[in-house]
Amino acid sequence: MEEGRAYSRDGVLSHLEMLEAQAHELALKQEETEQQEEKLDRLKARVQELRLQRDELRAKVDLQQKRLLGKEGVVTSGVLGAAQPSDRAVLEWKVKSVQAMLQVFYLTGISGKLTKHGVCFCISTAYEGTYLDSYHLDLITKPEVQIRRHSVPVFIPLEQLAKKYLQTDIKRFLSALSDHLNAYAGRRYQADQLQERFSDRLEGTLQRNSLCNMLVFNYNTAGKKQTFPFSAKLLYGDLCRSLPTEAVVSCTPGAPASLAERTAAHSDVFRRLALHKAFESFSSPEESLDQAP
Amino acid sequence: MEDSMYQVYEDEIQSLEEEIKLLAEKYEDSQQESTFFSDEEILMSIKSFQGEFQRELKGHESPSDLKVQLESLETDLSFLMKFTGIRFTTHSKKTVEKTGSRTIQKHRLSGNCHSLPFQLEFQLLEIKNKESVSAVITDLNIIMESGEYSGVSKFVSSTEEHGNLLAFFRSLSSYAEWYEHRRCTFLHFKAKYPDIVKLPEGLLGDYIVLRNPKPSGFELMIVWKIHVDEDGRITPVLDLLTKVPEQVLEQKIATTENAPTCFRSMLLLFGIETAIENLIRVVGLKN
Repeated sequence: MEEGRAYSRDGVLSHLEMLEAQAHELALKQEETEQQEEKLDRLKARVQELRLQRDELRAKVDLQQKRLLGKEGVVTSGVLGAAQPSDRAVLEWKVKSVQAMLQVFYLTGISGKLTKHGVCFCISTAYEGTYLDSYHLDLITKPEVQIRRHSVPVFIPLEQLAKKYLQTDIKRFLSALSDHLNAYAGRRYQADQLQERFSDRLEGTLQRNSLCNMLVFNYNTAGKKQTFPFSAKLLYGDLCRSLPTEAVVSCTPGAPASLAERTAAHSDVFRRLALHKAFESFSSPEESLDQAP
Repeated sequence: MEDSMYQVYEDEIQSLEEEIKLLAEKYEDSQQESTFFSDEEILMSIKSFQGEFQRELKGHESPSDLKVQLESLETDLSFLMKFTGIRFTTHSKKTVEKTGSRTIQKHRLSGNCHSLPFQLEFQLLEIKNKESVSAVITDLNIIMESGEYSGVSKFVSSTEEHGNLLAFFRSLSSYAEWYEHRRCTFLHFKAKYPDIVKLPEGLLGDYIVLRNPKPSGFELMIVWKIHVDEDGRITPVLDLLTKVPEQVLEQKIATTENAPTCFRSMLLLFGIETAIENLIRVVGLKN
């Protein structure tokens, strides 16, 4: 009897345990489903909210555009629907307007702002419409003009230029520095463009120094070839220019005469045109005839 | 399974948020670009803004901050205009296209660099990539009086073709400085030696004539051109022309023939002002 009772008690107990476990699992699942539903509801609500906001904004913008198209000249009311713009709106407009004009100064090459100890100038560089890096010069103006901090690279002759012009004519100093920086940025841009757009015509990578005034590379004039018969060494003697003063082009000894004849022409092109444009001109029909397989 | 359900909503939420951001920016930009307040209106607002501060103390940006910010910006702008000599008289900006990463704005600018006026318009394309913003100028159009020298108009066309706005301003700045320097020098000598110095083309012309008041027929013409090369480099080019009457020519051949060379040496040794002054003295002595 003991055994029987023990057995049936264990059976009942384990059955109970099993039921308890099942109930627990069910509860968990229910909770999970509830949470999922809640999350879904929240997401749905958020979507509705945003859709409404978006639609209101769209209507506001459409109305604004219609008003602007309808009126000749400018609108002097700063706030849609208000008869008179608030003083805050007027001042905020003016702040943005002055900020925009300061941004235009950035485009002119020399901009900056006053600091408590002097001025912080910003020299911007560009190559033919594409703006490149800009460099900062933090100047102290009293008791004498000094460079407090700057971001000019070490291979630009900043010290020399400062010695020559900084005390007597800051504008001339900045102008000379800008010439150097713009020429450097232009040379680097051309080398980067060549590497990026014509890598299939270059053997390996272009070799250059940090000032980018000496470039060495082996190349061919039509891409996807195995050989690179031409070898060029470009020297930029004038640091304020972005075209080379010397272009030494040679051909590998075993190359056909038709190629060897072109080295003088290539040298001329490198001295006249920007590097990437020179390579663009190389893909003209006359050039590719020489490279017939 | 559920994840993909969430994903659909989450994607829509993200795209809606982006759209809302762009629409809000478009609204702000259009408001800014189509509005104009005159300086008087601005001043009036600044004055009454002070009063408003007493009445309301809320707002994300306190009134004095806004006023301080405006003053600081205007001081910077006025310093830059004075330092560079470039003054913008009008500037208008219109956002032509704006997506998540690309913005195209059309700018119209007019102003002067020292005394030389210019007008230009261009499109500025800005692309945001991961680390930085790149800016490219297209459709550059420049209106500028080229004056007497075709080098200027050639240079302007070349910068327009390549969108080289920065080079245009750098060269314009240099050219305008020389132009101003020349005008001041001519003015100085005209005032100091009114009988000898003549300006047939006025202060803005590119030459002066030195003539002794006692009619001897002896005349020196100093031509001062401001040369612009294709790279935009500015160099002053000065030369001396002599007009000598027959009798003097017979007597003092050597001096008059050497005059231009002498002048060039003087320019190199003493600079422009001293060289011109020396010539004026020489002409003043001749009888």
